[in-house]
Amino acid sequence: MWKSLTKSHNSETVIALAGQPNCGKSTIFNAVAGFKVNTGNFSGTTVSYTETHVYIGGRTVRLIDLPGTYSISANDIAERVARDYLLSGQVDVIINVVDASLLSRSLELTLQLMEMNVPMVIGLNMIDDAQKKGMEIDIQALTSLTGLEAYPLIAVQGSGVQELFDAALKISENNFHRVPPVYDRDVEECIARIEARYPSLLRERLKMDTRFVIIRLLEMDEEFERIVAEADREFLEYVIENRRFLAEIHDWPESGVFASHRHALVLDLFEQVVAVKSRTGTSLSEKIDRFVINPVGGLVATVGAFFLMFAVSFWFGNLIADLLEVPLETLGSFLMSHTSGPTAMLVSGVYDGFTAGVGIVLPYLVPLLVILSLLEDTGLLPRIAFMADGLLHRFGLHGKSVVPIIMGYGCNVPAIMAARNLEYERDRIITMLMVPFIACSARTVIILALAGKYLGAGYTTLIYLGNIAIALGVSSVLSRLSADMSPGIIMDVPPLRKPYFHVVIRKVWARIMEFLLFAWPVIAISSIVLAVFSYVGIDDVINRVLSPITTYILDLPSELGITLFLGIFRKELTLIMLNSALGTTDVSAVLSSAQLLVLVVFTVLYIPCIATISTLWKEGGWKVALLSIALNTSIALAVAGSLAFLL
Amino acid sequence: MTLLELKEGDTAVISRVSGGKGVSARMAGLGLHAGKKVRVVRAAPFRGPLLIEDISSGARTMIGRGIASHVEILDEKP
Repeated sequence: MWKSLTKSHNSETVIALAGQPNCGKSTIFNAVAGFKVNTGNFSGTTVSYTETHVYIGGRTVRLIDLPGTYSISANDIAERVARDYLLSGQVDVIINVVDASLLSRSLELTLQLMEMNVPMVIGLNMIDDAQKKGMEIDIQALTSLTGLEAYPLIAVQGSGVQELFDAALKISENNFHRVPPVYDRDVEECIARIEARYPSLLRERLKMDTRFVIIRLLEMDEEFERIVAEADREFLEYVIENRRFLAEIHDWPESGVFASHRHALVLDLFEQVVAVKSRTGTSLSEKIDRFVINPVGGLVATVGAFFLMFAVSFWFGNLIADLLEVPLETLGSFLMSHTSGPTAMLVSGVYDGFTAGVGIVLPYLVPLLVILSLLEDTGLLPRIAFMADGLLHRFGLHGKSVVPIIMGYGCNVPAIMAARNLEYERDRIITMLMVPFIACSARTVIILALAGKYLGAGYTTLIYLGNIAIALGVSSVLSRLSADMSPGIIMDVPPLRKPYFHVVIRKVWARIMEFLLFAWPVIAISSIVLAVFSYVGIDDVINRVLSPITTYILDLPSELGITLFLGIFRKELTLIMLNSALGTTDVSAVLSSAQLLVLVVFTVLYIPCIATISTLWKEGGWKVALLSIALNTSIALAVAGSLAFLL
Repeated sequence: MTLLELKEGDTAVISRVSGGKGVSARMAGLGLHAGKKVRVVRAAPFRGPLLIEDISSGARTMIGRGIASHVEILDEKP
C-alpha cells in the first residue's frame, strides 16, 4: 500500500474526481471523456476507479473517476479504493465534486481532502437543485474561507465543466497554497504538541503531510496506527495519550472527538457561505416521492417497474421479431439456393449469427436496457431498497442488495461488482451467490423468445416468478448457514430526478455497442464453428458426452447438448444455436411444450456464463466462484429435472 | 431515548451515536452526528428501516432499526 509516493515526472497531468457518493463524478467524467462509465441516481454506481486519457487545452490529462466516499476513513471496499488512490501520490490535482444541494454534508469530505495537502478545486454540481431548494451559495466567500477555487456546474447538461477543468489545470501548474482548516485552540495545541515529536523515520516512510498523518491518528485510523506502530511505538503512545486528553476535556468518546470539531467547523463554514431562503410549494418530484415511500405506493411502484420492464420488452420484442421474421427468412432461402457444399456451410453459419443478433437478441434487448436505465437514473432503486429491506431481511438479504439484484436483470457482471456497496462480508457473499440466479438480459431474451413466443404470457410470468422464488430461496438458505447477523442498512436516499433523454440514449447505446462489438462476433464465430463441427461431426461427440444430462435427466433431444455447452460462453448462444442444432426455425415443431419449458428453466438457472464466473472469482475468490457454479448447476438440474419428470 | 422510539413525523436532535466506530463514522459521513436535528419521515413496512431527514440540508437517509436503536436523541416535542 502507498508504496511509491513520489510521482514519476512526465508530461501527463493526473486529475482525480473525488467526492461523496452520487454527487455526479461519473457524469462529469462522461461529459469530458464520452460515455465510458455507467451512471445512476443512487450511491455507489461506481465501485472501482476508471481512468481515461483526455486532451484539454492541448495537454494530455489522465482523468480518474474514483468511487464515492463519505469520508477518507475507508469504511468499505469502494471507499478504500478511492482513498488508496488519493494517497498513492500520483494525483496532481483533485477535483472535489460536491452536490451543492447537500453542501453541509459534502463539506465534511472537502475538509478531509484539504488536510491531505494536494492541489484541489471544488466543482459545485447540481447547482440548479440547490437554487430550487432556496440555497444561495456565496462562491467568493467559499473560496476566501477555504483557499479553494469553486465553480458552479450542472454536469448532466455539461455546463460549467470546461471552466472547472481549465481551473484544475491552471492550479496544477502554479504553486498551490493551501489554507488548512484551523480547529479549536485545544485541538491545534494538541496537533502542535504531537508535531513537535514527529519522528523523522516516519517522515521518511510516509511521505505525506505530517499534519494530515497526525489528524488521521487523532481520528483512530487503524491503518495509520498500524504503520506508525511499526515505525515508532513510543510516538503512537504519545498520540494516544493526547487523544485521550482531548476526549476527556471535551467529554466526548475518543473515536469521535476530532470528528466533532470538524462537524463544528463545517457548520460554521456552511453558515458563512450559504443563505437559505424559505420556499413555498412542493415540486412534482416531491409529490411522486411521497407516493412512492408509502407502503401502497411503494408496492405499486416496485411491481409496476418490474412489470413495465418485462411487459414492454416482451411486447415490443415480439412485435419487432415478428416484423423481421419474413425478410430474414427470405434472405436465408435466397442464400441457401445460391450456395452449395462447404461454402453453403460457411454462409449458413454467418447467416445464423447475423439473424440471431438482429432478429432475436436486439428486439428484446433494446427495450429492456431503456427501462433499466430509466430506473437507474430516476432514483427509484433506493426507494425500492427502502420498501423492500424489511422483507428482504427475512430472506437473509439486505435492502442494499436491491441494487445488485435489479442491475442483475441487465447483466450479472456489474451486478456482482455492485455488491461491493454492502459493507459486510456476509451480506456481500450471499448477494454475490444470489445474483447469478437472476435472469440477465441475455437470459431474459431466451425466456421471451422461447417461452414468450411458444408458451404464452402466462408461462413466461410463471417462469419469472419461479426464478425470483428460487433466488430468494437460495439466499434464505445461505443466510441460515451463516451464523453472523447483518447489522443493518445505512443508505443515502437521493431526491427523485427526471431522467435526461440524452443520458438514457447514450447509456443504452454504450451497452448495445458492447453487445455488437463483443458478444455478436462471439456469436457469429460460434455459429460458424458449430457449422464446421456438424460438418466434421465433432458436435456428435459433445452431444454424446452430455446426453446423460440432456436425454436422461432433462428428457430433451441429445442435439441440444452442444447448444447448452455453448451457452456457458454466452447465454444467448443457447438460443441462437438452437435453430441450427435442431435444423429448423420453428422450434415448436421439434420440441413439445413441456420440453420447451424444461429447456428454458434449465438455461435460466444452470452454470453462470464465463464472464460472470470470472467476476465472481475476482470479487469473491475462487471458493465463491466454484460454489456458485455448483449451486447453479445442481439447482438447475434438480428443478428442470423434476419438471421433465412430472410433465 | 433513541431514534427508534420516535413516530413518523417526529423531530429530534441527535445527542450521541453509539454502536461502534464503523456505524458512527458511516452515520457522520451522511451528516447524521451529534447536534443534528432530524425528522422521521417514514418507517418502512415489515420492520424495515426508518427514513430520516436531516432538517438543515433536507438530505434523506434510510437506517435499519438495529442501528436506529443506537442513535440517542434529545426529545423535542413540538
